[in-house]
Amino acid sequence: MTAALIGFAIVLLLVLLRLPIVFAMGLVGTLGFAHERGGSILSERGMKAAMSMVGRQITDTAQDYGLSVVPLFILMGLFVNKGGMAKELYAVSNAFLGHMRGGIAMATVAACGGFSAICGSSLATAATMSKVAMPEMRRYGYSDELSTASIAAGGTLGILIPPSVILVIYGLLTETSIGKLFMAGILPGALGILFYLFAVRWTVWRNPASGPAGTRAGWGTRLLALKSVWAVLLLFFLVIGGLYGAFDFHPLNLTFSPTEAAGMGAMGAFLIALSRGGLTVKSTFEVLKETSFTAAALFSVLIGAQVFSNFINLAGLPEALIAMVTAYDVPSFVVILMILGIYIILGCVFESLSMLLLTVPIFFPLVTSLGYDPIWFGIVVVVVTEISLITPPVGLNVFILKGVVGDVSTGTIFKGVTPFWIADIFRLALIVLVPWVVLVLPEQMGAMGH
Amino acid sequence: MAVLLHFIRRLSDIPVLVACAALFLLMVMTFCDVILRSLFNAPIEAATELTRILMAVLVFAVLPVISARADHIAVDLTDGFFARYRLSRLRDGLVFLGSGVMLIWPAKRVWVLAERARDYGDVTEYLSIPQFYVGWFITLFTAIAALAMIVTGLLHLFAPHLLSERHP
Repeated sequence: MTAALIGFAIVLLLVLLRLPIVFAMGLVGTLGFAHERGGSILSERGMKAAMSMVGRQITDTAQDYGLSVVPLFILMGLFVNKGGMAKELYAVSNAFLGHMRGGIAMATVAACGGFSAICGSSLATAATMSKVAMPEMRRYGYSDELSTASIAAGGTLGILIPPSVILVIYGLLTETSIGKLFMAGILPGALGILFYLFAVRWTVWRNPASGPAGTRAGWGTRLLALKSVWAVLLLFFLVIGGLYGAFDFHPLNLTFSPTEAAGMGAMGAFLIALSRGGLTVKSTFEVLKETSFTAAALFSVLIGAQVFSNFINLAGLPEALIAMVTAYDVPSFVVILMILGIYIILGCVFESLSMLLLTVPIFFPLVTSLGYDPIWFGIVVVVVTEISLITPPVGLNVFILKGVVGDVSTGTIFKGVTPFWIADIFRLALIVLVPWVVLVLPEQMGAMGH
Repeated sequence: MAVLLHFIRRLSDIPVLVACAALFLLMVMTFCDVILRSLFNAPIEAATELTRILMAVLVFAVLPVISARADHIAVDLTDGFFARYRLSRLRDGLVFLGSGVMLIWPAKRVWVLAERARDYGDVTEYLSIPQFYVGWFITLFTAIAALAMIVTGLLHLFAPHLLSERHP
């Protein structure tokens, strides 16, 4: 166990020296594995065992069928975006909500939620929406605090509402069903939108000048705006419905595996973008290129994480934690509270994926040994990660906003984010106390066609 | 030297194109598989093994490029600190160099595994594609990535002006 803790500390140190995470985890994982197997880092026998594990991990991960959902879902998000989706989603939400006080910020939150349904990344959601929503909120005289905060917070929904890259990685690390994880993310994601809408209302109630009402759109405009997004809405229902088993009836008998859902989604998004004239050969190439770069970076990190987690398991850290909790007779909800606390602290420093990769191998065995549902824990982890994205001092989404908008200080954004952060804590409490919110949809899964 | 680097950058477009083609193929194949299976009850039987191979191609073909461009996921929390003490260049050089050297052993090991698969005559289930091709591919591109990172690291340390094309 000492070896594992030392290894963990070295990884943290190397990462802070800006060594890419894959190399930090890979190096420590390999040397640690050699140490556990051969008695010392330099032992030949240990090194041989470690290298053999690394080689196998590389070839296996690179050819893992289940992982093919990652590039395909990234591709889907990028293609849909090429079709001008972010703008249209925003136009729809604005047509329905814009006339209320704070309505344009509320529309931003809703559009972020919608965009999350086709994009699996929080940072991408925040970056895309800030380009679309920020000018509009400025035009109506919204305060910088409210406008930037609504995008930064709304953007966090990207990793919870399916498809979600983080949930895929969690599913692969813990051998939990990715389809069920996706289903489990839907209600907490919808709650996220609802709570954020309350946060906007609260902000404008405190300071009416921060979010004046926009112009009311007539029903004609509203229907017209809806017309532009129907194809993408259909695509979302096809992908998620197919995963859920909603089309599993005669004569269709169609149920998607996550890979198939992702392939259908990507192809559908490609066709939509193509039919709208949003794609040229060059831009198609750009999208494919960006996807393969992102996928390669994700796969590398994943390989590093698996090497590291093999070492952690061999060193017996998860068992030691379980033994400790049993010996001191710690109540299980205290354990959960402590884990949540650790996540929020780590989240202040780490980017969401690396945090997940470092911690899940350690905490997952403990949490499941206490009798908690693996799917529920996955959603809890993602919600905590979302919170970390808007928590000072290094809430990444806040920095994305700062990067895109430029002339607003991070202090202002963090100040505006506070009500959203509180809304998140309420949501987290709800999910922890009422696991039903998470588990009701996955438990229904596949039961529909019968 | 600058001409050589320029040439290498142009050359690196080829594996990127290969990765893009693999990804596009993966998308179209998955789509066709679902359609053929559900409407005509005739799935593409080799889809699973082709998916595995395409994935390895797509990930490893771009590995040298993302490695040399520093696109690996990293934590930039201490950037300000390094910049203040003018240590950024030294740090980047050492990080690239160290990472590149670290990649040599996995590349060698995957090669050993590939050779073993070749000895055993391992092939895929439906199309009988020899498994060691994938191993060779991974070895080759991991080795190129290692080399690219070592060279980038050395350039950072000794000839930073040659890297300027990448940071205009």
